[in-house]
Amino acid sequence: MTKPIRMALTKGRIEKSTVELLDRMGLDTSAVKEKGRRLILPVGDRLEVVLAKAADVITYVEHGVCDMGVVGKDTIAESGGSYYEMLDLGFGKCRFALAAPKGTDFFAGYQSRTVATKYPNVARAYFERKGMNVRIIKIEGSVELAPLLSLADGIVDIVETGTTLRENGLEVVEDVMPVSSRVIVNMASLKLRKQEIEQWIARMEAAREEQNG
Amino acid sequence: MKWNLRTTPEGTRDLLLEECVVRRRVERTLTEGFRLHGFSEVMTPGLEFYDLFASVIDERDMYKMSDNKGRLLVMRPDSTLPIARLVSARLQQAPLPVRLYYAQDVFHLNHGLYGRFDQVFQAGVELIGATGLRADLEMVVLAAESLLRAGAEDFRLEIGHIGVFNSLMEQLDCAPADKEALRDLIESKSYAALSDLLDTLPAGPAVEAIRRLPQLFGDASVLDQAKVLLPGETAAAALSYLQSLYTLLCDMGFEKQIQIDLGMVHRNEYYTGVIFRGYVSGSGEAVLSGGRYDTLLARFGSDLPATGFGINMDALCRLHLQQGNVAPPAAPQKLLFAPAGKEAAMHRRAAELRAAGVCCECSVYDSLERSRAYAAAKGIAELEIVNGEE
Repeated sequence: MTKPIRMALTKGRIEKSTVELLDRMGLDTSAVKEKGRRLILPVGDRLEVVLAKAADVITYVEHGVCDMGVVGKDTIAESGGSYYEMLDLGFGKCRFALAAPKGTDFFAGYQSRTVATKYPNVARAYFERKGMNVRIIKIEGSVELAPLLSLADGIVDIVETGTTLRENGLEVVEDVMPVSSRVIVNMASLKLRKQEIEQWIARMEAAREEQNG
Repeated sequence: MKWNLRTTPEGTRDLLLEECVVRRRVERTLTEGFRLHGFSEVMTPGLEFYDLFASVIDERDMYKMSDNKGRLLVMRPDSTLPIARLVSARLQQAPLPVRLYYAQDVFHLNHGLYGRFDQVFQAGVELIGATGLRADLEMVVLAAESLLRAGAEDFRLEIGHIGVFNSLMEQLDCAPADKEALRDLIESKSYAALSDLLDTLPAGPAVEAIRRLPQLFGDASVLDQAKVLLPGETAAAALSYLQSLYTLLCDMGFEKQIQIDLGMVHRNEYYTGVIFRGYVSGSGEAVLSGGRYDTLLARFGSDLPATGFGINMDALCRLHLQQGNVAPPAAPQKLLFAPAGKEAAMHRRAAELRAAGVCCECSVYDSLERSRAYAAAKGIAELEIVNGEE
């Protein structure tokens, strides 16, 4: 008997939605629901779930210590790396957007702009595509604060409903990219354990369809 | 003391004792295999002109510096381009094909703390001046044998053909930037994002074929699926070529280890034909990568077809170390001790022993007790006292 497939889940909401998905696939997820302080948990006898922070899910999958991972497209876009991105699970939907104080024209004039963001790589790639030279400042916490304090002309951040933006007098200037949860797979694992991994992907896809339909 | 006096730069490391043992062993095993296939060794400089690599390797990934005339240099990021250069410049008279191998470090500037090394020990071969099935077969067989020789029993070698991707791209009506994006999405098997991008292009058989391309990997049945799916004569020729190669490899007994992946497109643009990659259980990324590059040497003034591959020896060494089948270097068999005035006799005796193949040390201590203590600490089983009487 070979060892079970190891799947890293992003702790929190993605973990919850993925566990619901695994439930629909008929798997016994009780170990994940009653995990206590444990971080490696068995789900049935062919799957092992690891709980990690989003960026770490990518790191574990990239290095092959986890075969698969479930992580938001936001983290994938920011972290990059080499792995296969094989399935869009459809939950955790939101988008990256450029937002600026209501009533200002972000693109007007020739003065260079300053943008605050938690996602400097996403922001840099976005403005490079536009051919714009923009000063990017990395902020760790509430990014909305930066334009309010006049540190930045705008922000690039994740937007779900836009409520936080409105409450802080900001509005979306332009969408940058859509975001949802993705299944990523280590490149060597897919080659060495093709059948098993393809079966897991197919089962997850079927369960996703069932939920949407 | 300054902070950096006891560490090495990020992405580099010292190799100690058993790490060196395993590294030399892997190198010897691989290069001996290359030699038995008739390949000869070349070594290329660690510093090269930036221009040699400029159009192939991303400038951000190279260590750069300038020479004393202000010209831009890089630390060798790859061995194939230097070998293409040296064959074009210095081996024009050699009978074809030329079979060359190398075992040397390459340097990549990694960004961020991903746990990757900037200095990677690679071994590889280049078969230059030969085209066709026989040359491609030889490369894939040598790749498989090399992984076996290096102790990687559970390995997969996947073969593809860049002609499949290129022919589909020719049939596609889209901007060069989109083609580049498509290449990346197929290579990373990003099914969802690939679909989104293809939806923006005018529909057609090529678009549908590209949509399925990343899923076309596995055993020989992939080729049958592909024949139905992929339009165009170039693609059909590439598929039947792969079929012939695959059949020959199965005849060699590699059926279990060889897979087809038509979604493999390689990020390096110099490939022109069959491409392949090797994966080993226990290593998260490809340990072997190669393929045919028939137009590369023309850049250096000699229009020769070529194929080759490189192996990441560091990754193979890590596997050996993880499996723990490596002992640290053994202690010497003997320690020689001589009282004051008998030093020359001690060294004469040591030379005798070494001529007979015995590994021995001469004690640097002038007291027998300290020599004995040293032998015990070092794990040297035998202490021989040399008195100078023959």
